[in-house]
Amino acid sequence: MSRNHRRAQCGIAPPDLLGRLAVEGDAQQREAAVRALATSAAIRSQRAVMGRLNRQLNLNLGQMIGFTVNPDRRLTIYDNQTNGRTFLPGVRVRDWGQPPVQDEAVNQAYDGSSATYEFYRDVFARNSLDGAGLELVSSVHYGVAFDNAFWDGAQMVYGDGSGRIFQVGGLTRSLDVIAHELTHGITELTAGLVYSKQSGALNESFSDVFGSLVKQYSLKQSAADADWLIGEGILVPALGKALRSMINPGTAYSGDRQPGHMDDYVDLPDNNDPRNDNGGVHINSGIPNHAFALAANALGGFAWEKVGKIWYTVLTTRLRPNSQFDEAAQATVDVAGTLFSATEQDAVHNAWKEVGVLS
Amino acid sequence: MKLTIRRGGGLAGMVAQTELDDRSLPKTDAEAFAGEVARANLHEQPEPAAAKPWPDAQLYEILLEAAGPPISVHYTDETLPESVRLLVAWVDGRPERVESIEQ
Ligand SMILES: [Zn+2]
Repeated sequence: MSRNHRRAQCGIAPPDLLGRLAVEGDAQQREAAVRALATSAAIRSQRAVMGRLNRQLNLNLGQMIGFTVNPDRRLTIYDNQTNGRTFLPGVRVRDWGQPPVQDEAVNQAYDGSSATYEFYRDVFARNSLDGAGLELVSSVHYGVAFDNAFWDGAQMVYGDGSGRIFQVGGLTRSLDVIAHELTHGITELTAGLVYSKQSGALNESFSDVFGSLVKQYSLKQSAADADWLIGEGILVPALGKALRSMINPGTAYSGDRQPGHMDDYVDLPDNNDPRNDNGGVHINSGIPNHAFALAANALGGFAWEKVGKIWYTVLTTRLRPNSQFDEAAQATVDVAGTLFSATEQDAVHNAWKEVGVLS
Repeated sequence: MKLTIRRGGGLAGMVAQTELDDRSLPKTDAEAFAGEVARANLHEQPEPAAAKPWPDAQLYEILLEAAGPPISVHYTDETLPESVRLLVAWVDGRPERVESIEQ
C-alpha cells in the first residue's frame, strides 16, 4: 500500500462517527464533520447517512452534497430488496451508463430519472436537482407490497404496489410520477415550500405540473393533446384511471376529493391524522393544478415553452417556504409579463381568476 | 383484540383502512398475532419527525383495541419503527384482514 493511499484511507473517518460529531459536536466540529462527510468518497454511497443528517441538522441538502458532484454518475439505482427505511438506499444495481438489467423496475426508474434530468437540462438549462449536477439516487422494491413512492430529502423511493391500491409494478411505470418525486427535490432546494396546508399544496402542485410536463415533453404533446393526468393507469382499475386530473380536478378516481376552485377549498388541519393529509396537500393542489392547465390550454402549443417556464421561474426564484396561493398566483402573473407579453400575462391572470384565487 | 391500520397521505393522498380481529384467526395464528403486536411496542413514542417532513410520505394511525383503554399511535414512513413496519406487513399478509378505502 502506498503512503498516499494509506493517508487517504486514514483520512476517512467512519460516517457514523462523523455523523455523531456533526450532531453532537460544537459548532466548529459540526462544520468540519459535515464537510468531511460531504467530501468523503465513502459517503457518496451512504445516502442513508446523508438523509439522516439532513433530517437531524435540518441542513440544506445542497450545502451538504454540493461537494459530491460526480459528472460520471448522473444517476444510480438501488434495490431496497423489500426491506424498509433502515436499509436505504439498498444494494446498488445499476450505475449511470450501464446497460439495462433484468429487473424492469430498475430500468423504469433509470429511464424515468434520465428523462427528467434531460427535461430540466434541455428546457430550463438546469443541471440536476441542485443545478450543480447532483447525482439522482433512486431505490426500488421498497418494503413489502408497499403502496407508495416518496422523496426522503435525499433520494427517490418506490414501492412495488400491493395490487389493492396501486397495480403491482405501477409506481415505477409512470414517467410523471417519477418526475413528480424528483421535482420535490427541486422544490426543497429552491422555494422550500413547507409541506403543510397551502404552501404544501403548492409544493404538491409544482410536482404535478412538472411531472405532467416531463411526460408531455417526452411525447412531444401540445397542451391540447395532453391528458393532464397524473399516474394514468397505475391504480387498480376498480379505483379509477389516475391519481389526479389537472384539467378536471376531482374526477381521476372514485373518491377523488380534489377541488378545482377556491369555493371548494378543503380546509383540513395538519395534525398527523392520515385522513388530513398534512392539511390537504394532495387535495387542494387541485386548484393551482387547474390554473396551470387552464393557462396552458389558453395559450396552446407546448406547455413547457411558456407557462412551464413561468412556473419554473416562480418556483426557483420567487417563492418562499410559507408562500400561499395568492402570492404564487401573483408571482406567475408578474413573471409572465417579464418573460413574455401581455397575451401570456392575461392568460395566466385569467386562469387564476377562473379558479377563484385572483380577482 | 382488534388492530386497525389507517394509511393516508402518500403520493395518492388516499385513505385506506385495514382491520384484523384476532377472533377471525385460528388459535395458533391469534397467538402469533399477539406476539407481533407485543413486539411492535405500540406504547412506545415514535422518534420525533424531522423539521421537514418527507414529501409524499404516508401517514399511519394504528389503533389497538384490546383489554384496557384503546391505544392509538401515529407514524409516517419516516418515523415508522421497523417493528411496527413488520407488524403492518404481517397484517397485510393475512387473508382474514378487512380492507376498505375511505371515500
Ligand atoms: Zn408529491
